[in-house]
Amino acid sequence: MKQNNITIQFKINGRKQQLDIPAGMTALELIRDRLELKGTKEGCGIGECGACTIVVDGRAVNACLMFAAQLDGREIFTVESLAQTDQLHPIQEAFARQHAVQCGFCTPGLLMSARALLAEKSNPDRSTIVKAISGNLCRCTGYHSIIAAIEDAAKQQSKEGS
Amino acid sequence: MFDIEYIRPDNLSEALDFLNAKGADSKILAGGTDIMVDLRSGELNTRHLLDVSRLAELKKIEVLDGKLIVGAAVTITELLESDTVAASAPALGKAAQKFASRQIRNMATIGGNVAHCSPCGDTLPPLLIHQARAAVVNPRGQRLVTIEEMASGPYHCSLHPDELITHFVLEPKPPEVDFADFQKIGRRQELVIARMSMAAMAARDGDNSISLLRFALGSCTPTPHRFYEVEEFLEGKKPTEAVLWQAGKILAEKMLKTTGRRPSAVYKEPAIQGLFMRMMSPLIQ
Repeated sequence: MKQNNITIQFKINGRKQQLDIPAGMTALELIRDRLELKGTKEGCGIGECGACTIVVDGRAVNACLMFAAQLDGREIFTVESLAQTDQLHPIQEAFARQHAVQCGFCTPGLLMSARALLAEKSNPDRSTIVKAISGNLCRCTGYHSIIAAIEDAAKQQSKEGS
Repeated sequence: MFDIEYIRPDNLSEALDFLNAKGADSKILAGGTDIMVDLRSGELNTRHLLDVSRLAELKKIEVLDGKLIVGAAVTITELLESDTVAASAPALGKAAQKFASRQIRNMATIGGNVAHCSPCGDTLPPLLIHQARAAVVNPRGQRLVTIEEMASGPYHCSLHPDELITHFVLEPKPPEVDFADFQKIGRRQELVIARMSMAAMAARDGDNSISLLRFALGSCTPTPHRFYEVEEFLEGKKPTEAVLWQAGKILAEKMLKTTGRRPSAVYKEPAIQGLFMRMMSPLIQ
């Protein structure tokens, strides 16, 4: 396949990068195949399931619906940004505490939707949480444990903040 | 991975130069949430993608000379967060809240939603009740295109290949309007393509009779449009339950006149009346 390449610069999980990429590469292909950050999943590939949710300039977006070229100049966070070497992120801890993970395929996307929400609103009510994760499908849990986990994380976050 | 070229112009005149030279072989990219799906399905085949999402000229939201200006590259999230939109076009803000998912609202733009010409575009009914026109530029100058003229049919945009929407010009909500809403029905609450959608705004006199009504229907007809018969029927009347049901019946009849009585009419005829009632019942005193 003939490809024209372009150069993009961005910051991902705190690290600056400059890369030559094919213009037709998706953001998800860049993250998974080029940067080998395999936490971000491809589920449906058409923006329905949210398994590929990443945070770009503070907003949750579907990496499958973006071209890598659109990331030029942006600040990106993937699920790999959450945990430190020996310490889970508080949202991850809350997911574990509330048994919000079953098969785990949707979990990275849900964590990133939760992260974007809690960065924006420290104390969201239940309906705000439900709306914020409506773009993330989970076929295992029935969502209640996930919503409980995000409520739990919010509570922990406001405790630590005060 | 797609075999395609990506171009991001630094300003509007660069964008126009590119469209002038290669417009026929290009697709305009704003949020990309529809383009990516259409590329993947094979529906869309194009050589170049022209990314207009960062053009400052396309990002404004402001009231200027009594008109509400909304840039074509304004995202759905920016619409629903805008106080200006909430004050001047509240039904548009409400439609933005019900648009797809949070992830998609963060990328998708109002210009893309209009130019995609889906009958189900959530921004279309609210734009119609604000008599919105798209400001379209081309190498020869600028022209204004009404929302009705934009789609020549479902998914068929009437714009020329060298043209680009810069912004929309809306008639702001008249001060006396104290009711505005957007409603839709789909298979579930969130992240759903509307089966039917509608927007309305109304003003009332002291005795609660309707002095002004604007109403538009989406998703049900090949292209969304105003339903003037419903507006004319209700103007001057006091909105009681019986009167609103009657208006809903007129709406259902007019819709079926446009579409013909297809198998889905068994569902759509009562559903459209029910949705109309749900939206309009706050007007009953």
